[in-house]
Amino acid sequence: MAKDLAVAPVEGVPAIRPDYVLVADSVPALIGVIAADGAVEWVNRAVLDYFGATLEEITGWATSKLVHPDDIPAVIASQKHSFETGERVLSEHRLLRADGVYRWFKIYGEPLRNGDGEIVQWYMLQTDIDDLKRAESLLAGEKRLLEMVALGRPLHEILDSLCRFVEQTAPDCQCAVFLIDPAEHKFDKGFAPSLGDAYTVPLRGVPVVPGSAPCGAAAVDKTQVIAFDIETDPRWLGSAYHDHALAFGLRAVWSTPIVSRSGEVLGTFAVYQRHPGSPTQIQQDLIAQFTHIASIAIGRAQSDNAIRRSEAFLAEGQRLSSTGSFYWRQTTDEIICSDETYRIFGIEPGTPVTVKLITSRIHPDDLQRFTERVEARRTDGTKSDAEYRLLLPDGSIKFVHLVSQATATESGRVEYTGVIQDVTKARVAEETLGKLRSELAHVARVTTLGALTASIAHEVNQPLSGIVTNASTCLRMLAADPPNVEGARETARRTIRDGERASEVIARLRALFTKKATTTGSIDLNEATREVVALSMSELQHQRVAVRLEAADDLPPVKGDRVQLQQVILNLLLNASDAMSTVEDRPRELVIATSSDGADVHVSVRDTGIGFDAGDPDRLFDAFYTTKSSGMGIGLSVSRSIMERHGGRLLATRNRGPGATFSFSIPCEPQDVLGAPGVTDRHQGMMVG
Amino acid sequence: MTASTLVSIVDDDESVRESLPDLLKEFGFAVQSFASAEEFLASGHLEETRCLVLDIAMPGMSGLDLQRELTRRNQPIPIVFITANEDSSECARILDAGAASCLIKPFSETALLRAVTKALQTG
Repeated sequence: MAKDLAVAPVEGVPAIRPDYVLVADSVPALIGVIAADGAVEWVNRAVLDYFGATLEEITGWATSKLVHPDDIPAVIASQKHSFETGERVLSEHRLLRADGVYRWFKIYGEPLRNGDGEIVQWYMLQTDIDDLKRAESLLAGEKRLLEMVALGRPLHEILDSLCRFVEQTAPDCQCAVFLIDPAEHKFDKGFAPSLGDAYTVPLRGVPVVPGSAPCGAAAVDKTQVIAFDIETDPRWLGSAYHDHALAFGLRAVWSTPIVSRSGEVLGTFAVYQRHPGSPTQIQQDLIAQFTHIASIAIGRAQSDNAIRRSEAFLAEGQRLSSTGSFYWRQTTDEIICSDETYRIFGIEPGTPVTVKLITSRIHPDDLQRFTERVEARRTDGTKSDAEYRLLLPDGSIKFVHLVSQATATESGRVEYTGVIQDVTKARVAEETLGKLRSELAHVARVTTLGALTASIAHEVNQPLSGIVTNASTCLRMLAADPPNVEGARETARRTIRDGERASEVIARLRALFTKKATTTGSIDLNEATREVVALSMSELQHQRVAVRLEAADDLPPVKGDRVQLQQVILNLLLNASDAMSTVEDRPRELVIATSSDGADVHVSVRDTGIGFDAGDPDRLFDAFYTTKSSGMGIGLSVSRSIMERHGGRLLATRNRGPGATFSFSIPCEPQDVLGAPGVTDRHQGMMVG
Repeated sequence: MTASTLVSIVDDDESVRESLPDLLKEFGFAVQSFASAEEFLASGHLEETRCLVLDIAMPGMSGLDLQRELTRRNQPIPIVFITANEDSSECARILDAGAASCLIKPFSETALLRAVTKALQTG
């Protein structure tokens, strides 16, 4: 074709060689020769094909007929600059193809100069960069949207931007994204920035079924649904959606399911045209690409929501259980705290937390232990389980239980993850319970006092009798003539001794029956038992009970409350005596034995009484359960409770012969390495910093 | 009532065994003390004892058991029972059973002297 064209001869310029014309025609680019004044002199075959015109026609057209209106000012400015300066033409603009489509071209123009250096012609090469431009544009759009996803922008913002970008890239189209509520199986929120809420809101709540809308069919079938013309498409004729879409002037509807990586349909991506039609390949590519991005964005939003829900559940759980969590980064001494941890320590949320700040909240009595443990944990990497008291700035005291687990970082440093629980309520309740138990134990002791009245009177009357008799004798000896001074001295000495004996009885009674707080000490159970036996001996004798104490030698001490343990022994003795009160056909024998297996000290009280039924022996220990006509039935219940608080056990067993044996075991007092009793205070025993 | 009049004391309480003899000796009695009924029965002083000051509650054989044993042996020694038990009904039962006296500890020297004298007169 180019060979047929005459290239206008220009003075000083050689004519284009025919073989060069052939070469130019075979290049897939637009090539043209323009005179110095801008007139088109020659074009290759590709130019004629692109514009669908002859050289004459092209020559006669104005620039505005070839170039996209938006690009004309830039084209004119660029050419004007090159024509004036002689610099190479280098620009990009859109050219109108014969089918009415604008495509982007990159233009290179080189001047041809004559012997005097004057420009006589411009050789222009225009390469089609439309595909490249589109790809770059799509890439930029995709990048922008993915950045929004990565930055955690709100989902509606991302999906609005996505729709706008697609509409911008495919100007003939409008877009919408509809989310699906999987629980309800209905359409949830919709996003269609150019159609507006008026379009999306009525579709919210529509069931996800094929007949509801093209989007319903796409979601159910998990495949793209093309409605070439919604007005006539039989699938949705008569549906509410049919009228709704037409009311918005929409004719073509192309719905694509948005599917998660796990295959779940998250929503649909709908592209509309205001005239019937099917998507072009370019549009299909666009739909595929941005449906995928929508899937990423929705998936991310759902993950974020799940995390937020999970965090909310965790925070609520922490609040309800008064348990906070923390992470101690030793390298910086920084402690990352949950909201509940902030609350427990009485620290304003968001305040940077350090070991120093936490230390300032520890009760002074626990401070040394806390700091020692913290320093140890810096290096040993062991698990911690400890209880401390906090003294908060408002003066309130809290009890906290702290557990932490060491984790080694990649660099080998030890760091800790842990939880802290506010156990104040439990500790206060325990304290109250302890007081109530103490009160009940006292009530039980006072109740026992009634049973011991005769025994107590006996114990006091014996020394009183001695006092009165000795004093009388003393007076008589002094009144004799001559006075028996030596005899009087002896009787006076006995008077004092008996007075002291009476005083000891009263002291023992006071120790056992006076109401006082629980105290813990080292106790020799042989000695404690002997005292109780002495106190109750008269009562036992009165009941014609033969008592035998089989005390083990070298009985190790136990740790506990002496009064409470004596209360248990006394209670067992009196119960045994009561159990034998009706026995007439055999001796009333009571054997109290102490022993130890090295770990525990055992005390047993065996009688030859009426015993108890073979049923559930545990019932004997129920409060207010009694087989006796007198008594409240709290003795054994209180005794078992006392044993449990001492870490011991109280058991009832039936003898092979007549009667029963009640026995208790209580741990020996721990010994330290030097053999001295160790400290087993609860706080010191269980806590590790 | 002479030094030859023997009053025997049976009580498991040592202080009684120490104090009562001295007082009774001040009244001019001869006195022997025993820690248990079994010891008294085995002592060989039953024949010469004119009055027995006897504790009721003792380990092993009680005062009442001893009283029964003496009756069984046909050796009716007048008895002054003594007890540290404040239950007065116990004393009433004992007196009904034929005892000369029953004293609740602590008792005065007058009460003791009166009881012992009464017992000796009974005997």
